[in-house]
Amino acid sequence: MSTMSSPEPIPPPNDRRSSRASSSAGLPVNNSLSVATEPSDLLVRRKSRLSKIPPDVHLLEYTSPPDSNLVCLICHSAFDRPVQLACQHYFCRECLVHALAAQHIEHKTCPTCRRSIDPEREPLPIPKIIETMLDELVVRCPNTKSGCDWVDQRANVHDHVMLYCEYTQVECPNHECRLAISQKDFHKGCLHYTVSCEHCHTAMMKRDLEVGCVVSVSSISCPHCAADLLRLDLKAHVKDICPKVVVPCQGAVVGCTLRAERTEVVEHERACPMATMAPHFREQQARIERSEARLEPLARKVGILEDGLSNITNMLYPANGDHSSFPVTNPLDPNNSDAFPPAPLMPTPDFRLPPASFPPVPPSNDQSQTPFTNPTQPPFDSQVHHLLTLHDTLRDEVSRIANALTDVEGRTNMMILNENQRVKDEMLHTNAAINSMRMQLHWLMSATLQQRNSAASRATGGSTSASGSGSGTQGASSSLGARGSGTLHAPIRRLSDSTRQDVKL
Amino acid sequence: MFASKRLSKELLKLQDKLPPGITLVKADNFEEWQMDIRVMDDNPLYKDEVYRLKFSFSQSYPIEAPEVTFLRTPTTPIPWHPHVYSNGIICLDLLDRQGWSPVHNVESICVSLQSMLTSNTKKERPPGDENFVRYNTQRPRDISFVFHDNQV
Ligand SMILES: [Zn+2]
Ligand SMILES: [Zn+2]
Ligand SMILES: [Zn+2]
Ligand SMILES: [Zn+2]
Ligand SMILES: [Zn+2]
Ligand SMILES: [Zn+2]
Ligand SMILES: [Zn+2]
Repeated sequence: MSTMSSPEPIPPPNDRRSSRASSSAGLPVNNSLSVATEPSDLLVRRKSRLSKIPPDVHLLEYTSPPDSNLVCLICHSAFDRPVQLACQHYFCRECLVHALAAQHIEHKTCPTCRRSIDPEREPLPIPKIIETMLDELVVRCPNTKSGCDWVDQRANVHDHVMLYCEYTQVECPNHECRLAISQKDFHKGCLHYTVSCEHCHTAMMKRDLEVGCVVSVSSISCPHCAADLLRLDLKAHVKDICPKVVVPCQGAVVGCTLRAERTEVVEHERACPMATMAPHFREQQARIERSEARLEPLARKVGILEDGLSNITNMLYPANGDHSSFPVTNPLDPNNSDAFPPAPLMPTPDFRLPPASFPPVPPSNDQSQTPFTNPTQPPFDSQVHHLLTLHDTLRDEVSRIANALTDVEGRTNMMILNENQRVKDEMLHTNAAINSMRMQLHWLMSATLQQRNSAASRATGGSTSASGSGSGTQGASSSLGARGSGTLHAPIRRLSDSTRQDVKL
Repeated sequence: MFASKRLSKELLKLQDKLPPGITLVKADNFEEWQMDIRVMDDNPLYKDEVYRLKFSFSQSYPIEAPEVTFLRTPTTPIPWHPHVYSNGIICLDLLDRQGWSPVHNVESICVSLQSMLTSNTKKERPPGDENFVRYNTQRPRDISFVFHDNQV
């Protein structure tokens, strides 16, 4: 820690750029301070993630070498939060701290020109323009080697690495595993177990296997065409590219039976009508499959609906088609109170059902008039209407029952409350009675004790005069007194205990 | 950590471009490098000779000065200079604990030594050279030199 004080106010907390890039001349470089000045939402998000290491500004790679005026002479990288000395020499805050720490404790000098430093007023803040220039330097992501191709202004690198970069190393999701893993593989769980590579059969960590082993990038020649390939690509080569491997004609789906080396097949496919048809055919096939797939749930739905319908029909039309039993009153009519018997009663003839079959269909020529002209029809427009009215009646019924229930509940509650009150009152009475009894008992006890005590003191008084030894009697009487008080307390305590128990019961 | 960061930057620059008369010989790690220097003018003392410098860096380079000595090899002698002992130890305030500043670097040290040689005309060793060479067991940066003259 240096002896210099911090003359400049801390930058405003929402000014992300300045909090990261520079300024605030106070020398004591304190990382916790710079963290605290970051926007609080960032801080919270970071905490919720796993601990990541913030990017080291000194290790950043710039797309083009920074201007030599922006390079710190101590660390030889572009300034990281630079400060200025009165002699116009600039250094990274941290670099200057290190350099001055190595100097004589009383006498600090500028590392560049050796002019002595006034710890009271130096280092000075730097001009805003330098900060801006530093912020605008274009850098690559520190995880470039792992595969990130992010390139942007330096001011954003911290957020990129801490929040967005897929390649930032985080702690493994497995809590027992203390190894690091790329953010993008985090959801895959712990990859730090060994597996055997399918190319070289050596054991290696799952994480490394995802990248590829040495053997998988070693070359191999194709067994069919002898082309040189990476072992990694062999499968794909044989499947899609290799000109010598034997494949069937594309038209095989439509019926072409040709099988030959890929080059021949390609030649043949140009002429083969079945091969030209094949793509369309395949497309059709796919469409049919899709339709079938869609059809299946529909069929199931229809089945369910049919079941439901037949259930309803069965309910509506019990086997006999007794026309006379059909209700003549309209259940929707509010005046027809007879239709709704009080709730607890069983369903009445109201709910007897319409004929088991649809109304007889007259000859087709006057079919359209059927529902209205047939005088034998029940007073419903249709079966559906009947169902609806039934439904409404039932609903009314249910709401009535619900009301009745609330009523009953309220009454019960009232009753319970009253009962409770009565019990409480009674209990109070009992308590009072017990208390008075206790008082009486106490009084009796103390009276008895007093009597006994006075009798005892009379007895000891007699013995004192008899023995004539003061100290001995005092001890005796005091021990007796103690015993007396003991016997006096014990029963009372027991008594109060028992009363308490009584009260509880 | 600090040292390797900075040295890797310096190395990049040295491999890219160097002042005349200075060449990078060896830099395989961040502990010891070797550089060759030549004197560019016609000073008869150093004409047609190449001198090898050995740089040893501590973990706290550049806050701490590197240890710089001339290295005698079959092709590179130790140059004559009243501040250079015959075992290669250099008495230069720049490399001293007090004279060092972290803004110096390998290149600037080479340039300083080049000019130190260029300006010299005396073919002599520091006083007491023989004794010093025989009995000294200290490391160069632990020796407190008395700077007998400041004309360099
Ligand atoms: Zn710096
Ligand atoms: Zn200065
Ligand atoms: Zn990235
Ligand atoms: Zn793991
Ligand atoms: Zn392998
Ligand atoms: Zn092939
Ligand atoms: Zn074909």
